[in-house]
Amino acid sequence: MVSSFCWSCLTRLPTASPRAMLPPTLTAQRVAAFHTSGTLLASPLKKKANPQSSGPGYRSKQGVKLKKKKHVERARPPPVGERRALRKRIVLSNPNALEVADMQDISADNMVDSRLRGTILGLPVPMLDQLRAVQAFKPKQGWSIFRRPGTVTRRETLELGRLIDGISDKPEDKGKVVKRIITGPKGTGKTVHLLQAMSMAFTKEWVVVTVPECQDLVLANTSYAPLSDENPHLYVQNQAIAALLSRTVTANKNVLYKLKVSREHSALKSPVKPGTTLEDLANLGIQDPATAWPVFQALWTELTATSPASGFEKDFTPRPPMLVAVDGLAHWMKDTKYRSAKFEFIHAHDLVFVQHFLSLLQPGKNQQSALPNGGLLLYATSASNNPSVYSLDVALQRVAARQEGVDPSSPDYPAPVAYSNPDQRVLAALDSPKSSIPTEGTLELQKISGVSREEARGLMEYFARSGLLRQQITEEWVNEKWTLAGGGVIGELEKLGRRLTVSA
Amino acid sequence: MAWQTPNGLVQAMHLIRQTVPLRPVLQRSMLSASPVLSASSTTTTTTTRLPRSLSSKRTYATQLEVTAAPPIDFDTLRTLPARLVPVSPSYFSGSPKFIDHQLALEHMLAENLSLPIVESSQAPRMAWFKLAQFRDFVGESVPTKKYKRLIKLLQRLNRIDPKLMPDNVKETIHKYVRGGNPYANKPAPATVDEMGRARGRGKRKSSSAVAFLVEGEGEVRVNGKTLVEAFPRVHDRESATWALRSTSRLDKYNVWAQVQGGGTTGQAEAITLAVARALMVHEPALKPVLRRAGVITVDARRVERKKPGHVKARKMPTWVKR
Repeated sequence: MVSSFCWSCLTRLPTASPRAMLPPTLTAQRVAAFHTSGTLLASPLKKKANPQSSGPGYRSKQGVKLKKKKHVERARPPPVGERRALRKRIVLSNPNALEVADMQDISADNMVDSRLRGTILGLPVPMLDQLRAVQAFKPKQGWSIFRRPGTVTRRETLELGRLIDGISDKPEDKGKVVKRIITGPKGTGKTVHLLQAMSMAFTKEWVVVTVPECQDLVLANTSYAPLSDENPHLYVQNQAIAALLSRTVTANKNVLYKLKVSREHSALKSPVKPGTTLEDLANLGIQDPATAWPVFQALWTELTATSPASGFEKDFTPRPPMLVAVDGLAHWMKDTKYRSAKFEFIHAHDLVFVQHFLSLLQPGKNQQSALPNGGLLLYATSASNNPSVYSLDVALQRVAARQEGVDPSSPDYPAPVAYSNPDQRVLAALDSPKSSIPTEGTLELQKISGVSREEARGLMEYFARSGLLRQQITEEWVNEKWTLAGGGVIGELEKLGRRLTVSA
Repeated sequence: MAWQTPNGLVQAMHLIRQTVPLRPVLQRSMLSASPVLSASSTTTTTTTRLPRSLSSKRTYATQLEVTAAPPIDFDTLRTLPARLVPVSPSYFSGSPKFIDHQLALEHMLAENLSLPIVESSQAPRMAWFKLAQFRDFVGESVPTKKYKRLIKLLQRLNRIDPKLMPDNVKETIHKYVRGGNPYANKPAPATVDEMGRARGRGKRKSSSAVAFLVEGEGEVRVNGKTLVEAFPRVHDRESATWALRSTSRLDKYNVWAQVQGGGTTGQAEAITLAVARALMVHEPALKPVLRRAGVITVDARRVERKKPGHVKARKMPTWVKR
């Protein structure tokens, strides 16, 4: 019987392959392998590791090898203030953007023209210096993408234009004071609304006083001191007030140099001579910041003067209306970062600077309105840099309720939640009753929201005509962007408009 | 019941040899078995049948009772056949009944091949047997792949124009359909309510959204907030409104959406689906457009669960020597 063993299988035993992988032996003498298993040779390349020599030997130097820190050659940091200057830099023009042909500048004529609704009105070039001086422009507002700065004429703008025009020129509105707090969602154009008010006020030759950023006054960035020995709980910020004076003088130079002092100012160290211009008066405070607060008070008295004191009649000219614009109001409604002598946080209302501007919201004293020569108080909140102050929320709700005619004694009047411990000073600051003076309006709340579709279309066409948007501006396209911008939020519209769209 | 002569058995073995590659076991059994089998063929019949019926897996239904065929009484036969052959030619294959079914269907298709057919979407929707049900139906363990081939045949037959379909085809097809009609009970189509609102729900990742759509002019509210407040990213806003945008209805409707769970992207895309469904309530004819826009098909992917021994769903811990 034939064995079932397959002889040919022996030849296919896997002997050949491992041998092939081994390095060829130098010695040529190879005997025919008797064994079928592959030869296992130690690799000549690999050195045998000594198990004892793995660590440091006994009493040998055993120190941890510390890596030397490599000295990295760094570029020299930019000089002090350069980064800040870069961050705060405001670029108002882009020479690459196309010039929009028939763009009008804002002027006394067209600021009340309702036909211009939805168009972009440019800011006149001479006014730019004034607007820069009052810090009306903010760094992230996207002025730098257009050839020259301009703003959308929206419904609120026209209403503001009519108001400013009325206070300046109409006899029945003379001396009228409008007090407004401007709120609204992020990017709806609250700050630009203030800017538009300033530009109109400059056109009408008003005096513009601004606080461009409320937070700067409460961050403990500027020096502060108790006001006097009589008022140890009030604090004055001389540097900040000097800066305010400087802003006001630079921006309103062509108004202030025409106005002369109308009374004695005993609080000042050196008596002011009759015939001194208000510009020179303000410069006293700028030159010597230690006297900035009395100088500011003196300047304010002069600007709100309705008649001269005896002996000063000769140089007296009627004072123009005033625009007071404050941005970022919520920072003034809580404790500051400043400390008192007891090392407690100082409330913002204890700063004389803040106190002065907040007191303007209240009805004026001594049978005079807050701004006896008329004017506009615009206090805007911010939605992006916004500390949450519950008391302010309630206070603003109360303002809105009073505006709708809700009686403060009625149950519908908004009240803070029980045990929420609201800040009574905040509630009181915005709780201004109706003034007895007919020209002085009560505090109003103006909510700014998105622009209408027509205004959005005007803005988008402006983008297209500036060469930023290569798109056919159709009704449908504008409607789509209007919805995507959350109902015409103008900041979002700008983002959508400047977004580079490359069509295939 | 088939009755085998030794001749028949040898024939069958030849047949198997042609199909199956020769295995030594089989070879040996053939060589050794043939002379023995000639003596008592009835017993071999039972022995060959038994293992096949036992081996068939019944996962779905009750075990079939396997009984041996009764012995043939030769006295009752009028004429004694010269040679007995099985009824089905596929008797000696692995699954004769299935092959019979398949051959019958193939034959039927060949007969009716000239009849006009309709689009597969136009053909009546049939709930064919599931695989397990079909295995019970034929009583054999049919492989999945072969069953799929059968289903293809059935679907092709079903595509014959319903007006021209012969009765025998209809009857045959209906033999392979599940009892009842699973596709009959459809939910009632959603309608716009008395306030003019259409409601739609959508899910994506971990988010679920409900959207109410009314005729309007393009206002969108998500959880009471505006679109900008709800989705700071433009891409999310675009995807949330994509159903309306792709049908150019963005300025025709107002959206009021409630969304919860998940992150911003998931929420935005959940709103997309919800709005699309609500839009179909207002305008059912938009379905093909919306399907092309990709808002009909639901993305059913969810986060894969973490497993023990893994760092995440799939990630393994880093290998360390000791």
